[in-house]
Amino acid sequence: MIKIEELSVAFGDTEVVKNVSLELRDGEILGVVGESGSGKSVTALTLMGLVSDAAKVTSGRILFDDVILREAGRPCDKALYRKFQGSEMSMVFQEPQTSLNPTQKVGRQVEEVLLLHTKLDRGEIRDKVLETFRAVGLQDAERVYVSYPHQLSGGMRQRAMIAMAVILHPRLIVADEPTTALDVTIQNQIVELLRKINAEQNNAMLFITHDLHLARRICHRVAVMKDGCVVETGTAEEVLDHPGEAYTKRLVEAVPSRVRGREGRTAGGRTCNPGSLTGENGKAPSEPVLQVRDLSVYYQDGGQALAEEEGREGGNRFSLKAFFRRNYRQYVVHHADFEIWPGESLGLVGESGCGKTSLSKAILGINHYIEGNIVHHSVRPQMVFQDPYSSLNPTKTIGWLLQEPLRAAGRLDKSLAMTKADREAAAYDMLRRVGLEEAYFHRKPSELSGGQRQRVSIAQALITNPGFIVADEPVSALDVTIQAQIMELILKLQGEMNLACLFISHDINVVYRMCDRIMVMKDGQILEIGETEEVFSHPKEDYTKLLLCNSQ
Amino acid sequence: MENTKYTGKTEVKKVKNKRWNKYLTAGMVMTGIAVTLGIVGFFWTPYSTTAMSAAEKFAPPSLRHFFGTDNFGRDIFSRVMQGMGTSILISSLVVFFSGAAGIFLGALTGYFGGLVDEVVMRITDALNGFPSILLTLVIISLLGIGMQNVIISLGLVFVPGFVRIVRSEFIRLRDADYIKRARMMRVGNFRILFVHILPNIFSVFWVSVMIGFNNAILAESGMSYLGIGVQPPDASLGKMLSDAQGYLQTAPWYALAPGLTIVWVVLGFSLFSEGIRRKGGTQR
Repeated sequence: MIKIEELSVAFGDTEVVKNVSLELRDGEILGVVGESGSGKSVTALTLMGLVSDAAKVTSGRILFDDVILREAGRPCDKALYRKFQGSEMSMVFQEPQTSLNPTQKVGRQVEEVLLLHTKLDRGEIRDKVLETFRAVGLQDAERVYVSYPHQLSGGMRQRAMIAMAVILHPRLIVADEPTTALDVTIQNQIVELLRKINAEQNNAMLFITHDLHLARRICHRVAVMKDGCVVETGTAEEVLDHPGEAYTKRLVEAVPSRVRGREGRTAGGRTCNPGSLTGENGKAPSEPVLQVRDLSVYYQDGGQALAEEEGREGGNRFSLKAFFRRNYRQYVVHHADFEIWPGESLGLVGESGCGKTSLSKAILGINHYIEGNIVHHSVRPQMVFQDPYSSLNPTKTIGWLLQEPLRAAGRLDKSLAMTKADREAAAYDMLRRVGLEEAYFHRKPSELSGGQRQRVSIAQALITNPGFIVADEPVSALDVTIQAQIMELILKLQGEMNLACLFISHDINVVYRMCDRIMVMKDGQILEIGETEEVFSHPKEDYTKLLLCNSQ
Repeated sequence: MENTKYTGKTEVKKVKNKRWNKYLTAGMVMTGIAVTLGIVGFFWTPYSTTAMSAAEKFAPPSLRHFFGTDNFGRDIFSRVMQGMGTSILISSLVVFFSGAAGIFLGALTGYFGGLVDEVVMRITDALNGFPSILLTLVIISLLGIGMQNVIISLGLVFVPGFVRIVRSEFIRLRDADYIKRARMMRVGNFRILFVHILPNIFSVFWVSVMIGFNNAILAESGMSYLGIGVQPPDASLGKMLSDAQGYLQTAPWYALAPGLTIVWVVLGFSLFSEGIRRKGGTQR
């Protein structure tokens, strides 16, 4: 029913979509997978008529049944699209935070679709919206109706978005990374919801994702895109389990998977597993690099936390009680108790808001509201951040960035001071060790790709040889193939430098690949801690089981 | 490997060329002419700026006198050159001093917050509470008339604006990941402020400097117009405008020349700052 025939889209002189042909039948879910920059989003936006005017369709056409929506050489027919958008086709975006208008109540925003496309009166519209809210799993429909987007959680916002998209029973739903911004358990629910809607309304769905696990679970057919071209199409099982093309194969292999296991781990250069306390290699690990004893982290701000807590029940009212009650402590981490041994990777998993970041900040010494003990037996630990685009100072060269930790150390402790030549030599050496050419020494971060920036980030954290780093979601902002490379790099460096690592991630499969031991956190509590294999094969807590099952 | 293929050089050049835009070109040409004429005006003008000539009173613009002559027969072009030079010099100094103070105070208040922030911000609020022309009037009446006092009074009036802009940029950047990392490396506070953060705010700061410069030109002209700025016999654009008021109908060029000159300078700088803003906007 939807046919994209040999579609090419160009911005200026650069073609970003090249000769893409896709077909979509009623009731079918077609997954479009590919890495960032593969042209999958532009294809979808062109299909929806939402691509910017700067994009020109240079060849091919888009058919909806027999209607030509878009054709090469013709400008976008906005009036035609307006007839189709909303009623015949609709879209779910990635970021529920920005795709809802923050100044309007959610109910009103959903109503608008009905006001534009139907002749129902006010009361009927309201009933219909509430009914749809319930259908997408928003139990508290009445409250959601009168809420503003910021009063809802990410999952609820995404459900509201989906309600808006499906309320008119469109024949085509385009979902652009609808679950990427959500926690795994929520992610799972949203995927189930989309599948249920697809089954009930029998509409076609174009599901864009970079997550192959997800594509395998939800899609009937899958198209793999690379550099604007479709390299492979077929049923989900065919393509993802028995990839025909080299690129697809590479993509599938790059995805960390529990099925394939962790056999690559020791090959990565790891020789001992000190976490087991037995001390292979003959030498017993002397003492942990980090000991955390009965650590609680809290926030202490002029009643802000209390106001938020009260707000949760009674709307966001100004609370006098909170305003006057200073020194209110809200605990975000309760009685954490663990240690990290030299050369060991400890994985920390949990959903957003569980206290992962607060805990890591406390360990790094940038959060002073703590109770309990943190004992470091290493140089001050360094951190690798999630977003490679904001963790390097854009005005400096890579060489300068790599030398800065050495300069800072030298200034603090005169015995560590190095000459300029020594510093530069160390920076060049580190650059090589993270797999970058020397030419990068004089470049600025803006000239580097995300993966390269993350390499520099790692180099900057390791150049003082701290013995222990905290890596906060170091690979989750990267494409799968790059992700795999960065994971290999961290494993390699851990082996070379006997580096201990607190590895924070929401992606269970990444943690499985990377870590010797794993620690599961929920609502500020450490629920479970143990050897990775042990926790994965015999999870003790229900929550761990849930996490494991949701990320299968 | 992703890193071996990537050379990056050609791509970067293209981007840089794109950043060059017509705003920047037009702005640079206009300000270039104004600044050159102004600087030359300090040392040499076609005619003496004070030489009067009864025979040539109110001569209309001609090749002999580009902008005509005034009620004393003085060459307006020469006086405009000198007045423009004075205006640009005063405004540059004003922006320089208030900008430097703005960076210092904005950096401290934005980065550290707390009590210093409260105190400084309440003082700037108080300064902002008065119309700026009133404030300069008060300062001039305390200090007396004179060019250095014009600079001091305008400088003081301009500080709060710079503090606010610099402060908000420092607040935005103090929690950036790369600043957190610098703190973890235990880089000193002073170095974080002025080596790590400061270069990142320059694109925003330059625009506010340009706007501040324009406002300073206008404010200086306004003060001279009111008679509390540059004093006769030194030429000044504002003073010329107020002198020309009585002759608007008989010798319109007398008012038009300084008026259009102010427009030229201000427009030139506005285009220049817009050009810089667009150039900076594509940076990441």
